[in-house]
Amino acid sequence: MISSVRLKPLNWHPYIAPVELSEATPEQLDAMKVTPSAKKVSEYVRTLAHDPESYLARTILFNAIMYVEGGLARPDRELGALGASIVNGCKFCAVVHARRHAELTKSDEVVTALYLDKPEALGPRDAAIYSFARRLSAAPSEATADDIAALRSVGMDDREIIDLIHAISIFGWANRLMHVLGHAESG
Amino acid sequence: MIDAMDKAAGLSPHDALFAARRFRPEFVRGAEECRLSVLQPANDQGLAPNLRVALARRMAALNADPVLMAEYDVQLAQLGPTEQLLALAQGETDLNEPLATIVRHVDLITLTPKKAEASHIALLAKAGLNNPQIVALSELIAFVNFQTRVAAGLRLMRST
Repeated sequence: MISSVRLKPLNWHPYIAPVELSEATPEQLDAMKVTPSAKKVSEYVRTLAHDPESYLARTILFNAIMYVEGGLARPDRELGALGASIVNGCKFCAVVHARRHAELTKSDEVVTALYLDKPEALGPRDAAIYSFARRLSAAPSEATADDIAALRSVGMDDREIIDLIHAISIFGWANRLMHVLGHAESG
Repeated sequence: MIDAMDKAAGLSPHDALFAARRFRPEFVRGAEECRLSVLQPANDQGLAPNLRVALARRMAALNADPVLMAEYDVQLAQLGPTEQLLALAQGETDLNEPLATIVRHVDLITLTPKKAEASHIALLAKAGLNNPQIVALSELIAFVNFQTRVAAGLRLMRST
């Protein structure tokens, strides 16, 4: 039995000056979905709003991958995101998605095992997902046909595996924004 | 219709995986919209399309993806690349500024994102990149690293 890890949310701060709402162009405001009365938009969103086209396109894709109905269970997507974030060194993303995994499963057992670097404590399904997430996140990817076979052997179908590939890969993206353009600090 | 991701993963319309991918039309459409937003944006922020494609070619090589390398080579040839951009695409590091600083950053973030620090963004600014360019470059790097992983995953599924 391992004692559970307590993860507190972190705050993120950019290395460059974010867009000020008072100086934002109509396209930037639209990308941030800001109404004239809105006062608070996160520093992260205002940083990415420097290039509104890519921000808008990526946000739509990100939300679909992480929240679309059906297919791969939400906690499994969060586990893929967490595995990628650990490999890519994005502490902020790792904490957010570890906490979300714990909330969705109403258990912090998986997250605790990963934060204590004890992946051998995971059940077969979580182990297959986490291992694939780590190997696909390496640069270049180290994932092999054996990883796909392991996912199938724990009962995952093609649609679920496609969802998982996207959840891992979109964190190959998100981690390279969040960990590159700023840093995380504890509350 | 075959899109850039099908092409990268080697999928044709009669593959079961081609149909399985379409179970998520929002992923198919979304990935294509993202590709256009970083490689052919309406506002390129002063990072020209041929520089973007040359960087994508370089990152496809860093990710050991010969299919995407070949694809970006074809695209680059159509965009009137300079000698410097052709060298950049092939992985050269001895380049004029700001390209030398840009490729050092691109290589670092592609291969070892964990090592990113504030000083790396400061170097981009020192080389003359403004904030929109720093963000646009970051999104391009991040996109190609997304694209190569989805393609790699789909190829593995096709082969098993």
